[in-house]
Amino acid sequence: MDIEMSFSEEIANVMYASHGNPITDCLQCGTCSGTCPAAEFMDHTPRTIIGLINAGYKDEVLASNTFWSCASCYHCTVRCPAGIDIADMMYALKRYSMWKGEHQEGLIGPVFAQSFVKMIVDSGRSYEPLLAPTYIFKNGPRGLVQEMQTATGLMLKGRLPLLPKKIKGLKKFRNMVRRIIPIGEPT
Amino acid sequence: MNTKIMMIDDDPDFVAGIKSILEKADYSVDVAHNPKDGFQALQAGRYDLLLLDIMMGRGAEGVALARKIRKDPKLKEMPVLIITGLREQIAFLFPGQSVHPHFVETDELVEKPVEPKLLLEKVSSLLALAEEKKQKVPG
Repeated sequence: MDIEMSFSEEIANVMYASHGNPITDCLQCGTCSGTCPAAEFMDHTPRTIIGLINAGYKDEVLASNTFWSCASCYHCTVRCPAGIDIADMMYALKRYSMWKGEHQEGLIGPVFAQSFVKMIVDSGRSYEPLLAPTYIFKNGPRGLVQEMQTATGLMLKGRLPLLPKKIKGLKKFRNMVRRIIPIGEPT
Repeated sequence: MNTKIMMIDDDPDFVAGIKSILEKADYSVDVAHNPKDGFQALQAGRYDLLLLDIMMGRGAEGVALARKIRKDPKLKEMPVLIITGLREQIAFLFPGQSVHPHFVETDELVEKPVEPKLLLEKVSSLLALAEEKKQKVPG
């Protein structure tokens, strides 16, 4: 008879390559939340998220914006007295929620991540104007005007190219990607 | 002798379904839920076939595991059936292109969701192929 896997175990499997200790080692000391520069934008603090995962509150965790607000500064990972790689856990939760297709509506993160990866695979480098539509309309007309002003300023100073640039040896780069992701013609 | 199958997949619901299909067909199935545990189990035990997922851990890590198996003298002859939901997860990167196997000596690939009949067919044909190959070697 199979025993049903707990949410905490599922996350542990997604994090199997993490160099940190398992998240079940959490002491609930709150150092991660206290040190997190993005905590004020999160609906649950990192400490609460770890507590919720260990207690099996899967729906609450997946519905939260915590891991999508993570700025990946790794301050929590560095300071965690239990040696948990908390920033890596945030990435694991992002992957898990995209895999299961269960995340908050209207988040910038998932769409932004997909556009970014697609852009890198297509051209080998980042081109900001293509990424802009994923977030530019989120802050109302004033935000839009502000973004456009910044972009114009950058363009006038030659910091933002008008057309996307491709890297040299793009074909070799794509072959390399295909070695990692087995889609397309075998290399 | 009972045929032993190893399954490495991080989706517990999918594993439960596939395991029950295979067990009904009289195969004995062991499961690991991540590549690290899976590789350890493969090295410790003796398995006739591996069912391998691609998208695990940080990304397409099943591919890395398949390549590791190909380099392992003890494991490289073991047939591998790759069962993947890769297309569903990252097809936005490569619209309309096919997913391909060929990571190990004998492998095949099916995409999730898998029809039970197709799964059993692939499993038995891979096992038969491996058996045939084994008998050819000494002669």
